[in-house]
Amino acid sequence: MGLDYKLVLWNKHKKNYDKLIALGMVLYLIVFFVLSLVTNAEMTAETIIIRAFGSLAIILLHLILVIGPLTRLNPNYLPILYNRRHLGVSMFLAALIHGVFSTINFHTLGSKNPIESIFTSNMDYGSLTNFPFQVLGFLALLILFVMASTSHDFFLKNLSPKIWKRLHMLVYLAYSLIVLHVFLGAFQQETSPFAIGVLCLGFVLITGLHLTAAFKEGKIDSFKASKDSDGWLEVCTTGEIEESRAKIFTVEGERIAVFKNEGKLSAIHNVCKHQGGPLGEGKIVDGCITCPWHGYQYLPHNGQSPPPFTEKVKTYQLKVVNGFVYVNPNAYEEGTEVTPISC
Amino acid sequence: METVINIFIIALGLYFGLGLLFGLYFLFAGATTIDPLMKESKKVVRLLLLPGTIATWPFLIGKLFQSKKV
Repeated sequence: MGLDYKLVLWNKHKKNYDKLIALGMVLYLIVFFVLSLVTNAEMTAETIIIRAFGSLAIILLHLILVIGPLTRLNPNYLPILYNRRHLGVSMFLAALIHGVFSTINFHTLGSKNPIESIFTSNMDYGSLTNFPFQVLGFLALLILFVMASTSHDFFLKNLSPKIWKRLHMLVYLAYSLIVLHVFLGAFQQETSPFAIGVLCLGFVLITGLHLTAAFKEGKIDSFKASKDSDGWLEVCTTGEIEESRAKIFTVEGERIAVFKNEGKLSAIHNVCKHQGGPLGEGKIVDGCITCPWHGYQYLPHNGQSPPPFTEKVKTYQLKVVNGFVYVNPNAYEEGTEVTPISC
Repeated sequence: METVINIFIIALGLYFGLGLLFGLYFLFAGATTIDPLMKESKKVVRLLLLPGTIATWPFLIGKLFQSKKV
């Protein structure tokens, strides 16, 4: 949120996260270089660079892919999600160095254009054991480029959150291409059972966490509320919602968040206008509902971002009868004021 | 197969080449018509946005034409 675009939206916490990322990357590279030289003194510097940055990119990609489901399963991981964008750009830079060094090392010595050489130096596309695996890495790098280069609020706003999200879901295609790139490459070069084992473990971890998180989300969506005679839906008791927090319910196919602020209840659409973050998993800070993903804020009584910001979400009418909270499933227009009700 | 590869590489080159031309125009002239926040944004920010504009120019060109029609 701002009145112009900044180069990087840094604050004290983000700077600390970035320092941690940079330190972790440097440490990993140092350890990789030392271990490579100790275990195989004949390995060239180019090969070590290619492998060090390639493996670093894969490790970072795994981290990025587990953050989403981890935060769904445990909100304590939300601070890591807050900085996922910078982790993604760091991962792309590591992958880019791997790709550039590989291309220079293997595809610039002939007369062909290096990109053409990646695709045509090995034409054994029908073989599993001799497949031109570098092509898969190149295609994955293209996807990672699109994602990293659009990791700025300018693109989120101007491509629209829907298109931006779809572009960034391509990370799963990039991950599949990278897994194949490594597996098919390993078939052709020295096979390291350790590296293959770690990659398999990573695949199981990512798949397992995504399935577990999907199961948890499914429980919210399968919630069946009973209707009263006016068509309002009974969702919970007033005591079930903590002060400054919310409970999320799926009403008529839409997720809504019912917040308690200073003892009064308000309901808004659960999806943040910034990146689709789950507002109901956030809390009320300084009187504003604060998205747990990137800190976008909305006023509980009208779903509007505080001035001068302009984001708005739909609001819902609530009533309390005998301690039970009821929601009118017909949403108001985005930003419509609804008087909070006392518990 | 080689023909398909050649077509793909030429298409990729064209895509990025056109993206670069559009990106330079868009970030230093066109973007302010669709996004008021760009008016106050510094040149270094515009340069940072260039790779993403090159990557996604078909979407942005559509939005630019839509805004000019309105």
